[in-house]
Amino acid sequence: MSLLNSSHAPQLVSDQGEVNVNGWTLLADDDALGVDQAVLSFGRAINELDGLNGRYGVRVAPGDDVRKLAPFLSKVALIEVAFPGYRDGRGYSTARILRQDLGFDGELRAVGDVLRDQLFWMMRCGFNSFLLKDADPAGAIRHARSLYTHAYQSAADGLKPVWALRHPA
Amino acid sequence: MKLLTANRLTDGLVLWYVEGSDLSGWTEDAALATRLEDEAAALLLDEWKARETEVVAPYLVPLIDENTLVKREYVREHVRANGPTAGQTAFDTARQHQRGEVF
Amino acid sequence: MYQYDQFDHAMVAARNAEFKDQVERRLKGELSEDQFKPLRLMNGLYLQLHAYMLRIAVPYGVLSSRQMRTFAHIARTYDRDFGHFTTRQNIQFNWIKLADTPQILEDLAAVEMHAIQTSGNCIRNTTTDQFAGAAKDEIDDPRPWAELIRQWSTFHPEFTFLPRKFKIAITGATRDRAAIRVHDIGLQLTDKGFDVYVGGGMGRTPHLGHLIKSGLPGDRLLSYLEAALRVYNRYGRRDNIYKARIKILVSALGPQEYARQVEEEWATLDQAQIDAPHAEIARIKSFFPQPAYAEKPFDVASLERAKAADAGFARWVRNNTLAHRRDDHVSVTISLKPTGLPPGDASSAQMDAMADAADRFGYGELRVSHEQNVILPHVAKADLYELYRLLDQNGLSSANVGKITDMIACPGLDYCSLANARSIPLAQDISQRFADAELTDKIGDLQIKISGCINACGHHHVGHIGILGVDKQGEEFYQILLGGRADEQAALGVITGKGLSAEAVPGALERLIKLYLELRTDETERFIDTVGRLGREAFAGALHEPA
Repeated sequence: MSLLNSSHAPQLVSDQGEVNVNGWTLLADDDALGVDQAVLSFGRAINELDGLNGRYGVRVAPGDDVRKLAPFLSKVALIEVAFPGYRDGRGYSTARILRQDLGFDGELRAVGDVLRDQLFWMMRCGFNSFLLKDADPAGAIRHARSLYTHAYQSAADGLKPVWALRHPA
Repeated sequence: MKLLTANRLTDGLVLWYVEGSDLSGWTEDAALATRLEDEAAALLLDEWKARETEVVAPYLVPLIDENTLVKREYVREHVRANGPTAGQTAFDTARQHQRGEVF
Repeated sequence: MYQYDQFDHAMVAARNAEFKDQVERRLKGELSEDQFKPLRLMNGLYLQLHAYMLRIAVPYGVLSSRQMRTFAHIARTYDRDFGHFTTRQNIQFNWIKLADTPQILEDLAAVEMHAIQTSGNCIRNTTTDQFAGAAKDEIDDPRPWAELIRQWSTFHPEFTFLPRKFKIAITGATRDRAAIRVHDIGLQLTDKGFDVYVGGGMGRTPHLGHLIKSGLPGDRLLSYLEAALRVYNRYGRRDNIYKARIKILVSALGPQEYARQVEEEWATLDQAQIDAPHAEIARIKSFFPQPAYAEKPFDVASLERAKAADAGFARWVRNNTLAHRRDDHVSVTISLKPTGLPPGDASSAQMDAMADAADRFGYGELRVSHEQNVILPHVAKADLYELYRLLDQNGLSSANVGKITDMIACPGLDYCSLANARSIPLAQDISQRFADAELTDKIGDLQIKISGCINACGHHHVGHIGILGVDKQGEEFYQILLGGRADEQAALGVITGKGLSAEAVPGALERLIKLYLELRTDETERFIDTVGRLGREAFAGALHEPA
């Protein structure tokens, strides 16, 4: 059995450390809708959400321009941002754009090569759930939250940048 | 003919695989490195790639004969085996093993 | 210089605790090397040929005597008693153990230093003019802005996994001593705000940066940078590491289109949350006052007498000092390019001596230049001779600043696992060939820059003479480039002639120099200007032995 922490199967954990079963299903583009909690690919979402009712999930790949989703966000309960490799940092920009530019307030989930050492940055960028590969997902969240009390720059998590603490308004 | 080389995880020092020595199978002195047959070398490489808590970045160094590196690897492996060629740590590795240059 | 407050201390302490945990997990096997590598790189730790190399940040090249003494301590305690100053104003130690690194970082934190983001695909050390705050030609001091950028870029959550490394340089003088035109982002401080250059860089595909914004107000700098980085993070190439720098993106889009996308992104940002308020900018600026200059009566006659009595001192004053904003002071460059030794290296004893020199004669402040020398930015002219004597006793008085033997050289294949060829022995040979002081002075200002591979850490693209080490079927060969410049008239050198063996290079340079001395209008026309006037082709033939 590998010692490697990331050899564990991904588990769904919230930014508060709650581990849950993932009830969402990623649909292939030609799968019928009608499943509760269906995640659509980005291309399908852009093409079809306009004509749909209800609330869906959308999977955003690193190269997708998430602003194209803006007209349909009222129908989106969950956005899964894919990290095919943890070194592909485009998902961090996607998350901040969703939270801070488009005002998305649904569940923003990191999926793919999601490891504990990136959790802190992900939470700062607005992710509030993770399909995390870890032996102890709740512990990983706790650890990530305990690392840094302050931030030098503002992001999507509401943490005030240090300059705001130095010069309270 | 090949040598198996790597860096030790804890201190990054250059290591050379040697058969029949101490428990770890590695030495810091390139002069003692075992000249391996290609097949055996490939198997050992696979084994040590998986042993990441011991060594980092293992790879095979091709030799023309027992004491001759292939030309294209000459400078790099010469430097790894003997130490930098300039400055206050010139040939440090060779000096530490109280020997002349190898390769 | 900047002093940490409780928040700065807390940041570094938190990062050190985080990294210590990551090291432990790596040693236990809970993290693979592949997972650990970007984490250790973001803390400055490389695996090189012989051992781990630790690159410690010297933010915008400024350090105190206390910090320099800590480098000496690290060299003695954890390394082989020396360190290497780099072309990004940092310091590197070549024989570090992974297991020691958490303790080293703690030792550094105690003197407000760190190794954060000195490697990895993130925003690196912002570099600047080594004479900032002292030079006569300065419009505005770039150091507070470099500090502002440092804080904004530290642990920036969105830009921790960029397509590739990101390097920013800033200058505030009319002469560009920070090479801003060959940085990913180059910032020029003017009296109307910042001129922003993007897409400069060296390496496989060198580019000069394009001016995309003029007159950017300082209080909008951070949000503009955020927009610029976001466009790069989203659209920089990730399929090929040799095409992943921002220069490739800017070239592909065209500078105007890139600038347009930045403006568009900038407009979507909540800039008030990103741009630091005036109070913070003022707070940071307050750490960079002019020193409490000592009123030391300066007697020109006595300086002239000292120079007349000691030719070495006279030469050192002529070559190694730069005019200061105050007439009774100068900036002094301590050359780390003595004949026959690795360029940019200093022993722990020399580091201590430089710290002493700073305390006695330099208001406790030192700088590291990207040309791999150490500077005392403020020295009273009255103290010059005593300073020179102290430096001379410690092998630090080489009077060759800006001259042919003041070379930039990367560590090369003696240390670096990326290199194709060695650079240090070549630099030593060249410095020995041109060791004669009279000859060096006669040749005048000439910048040789040597890289051991195409990654160009030795800045060979912007040397008056650039030398690039290549691997030709297992043998080290060196291509010569002519006509490069890193200053405000930045230009990329062009490969001239065929590759030369290491043995052939010094002789080729001798022929080149001989020809230059014949062709120059007079001794005020520098090598680079003669090349500019006559063209490289006039010199190409000299590189190879006549048939």
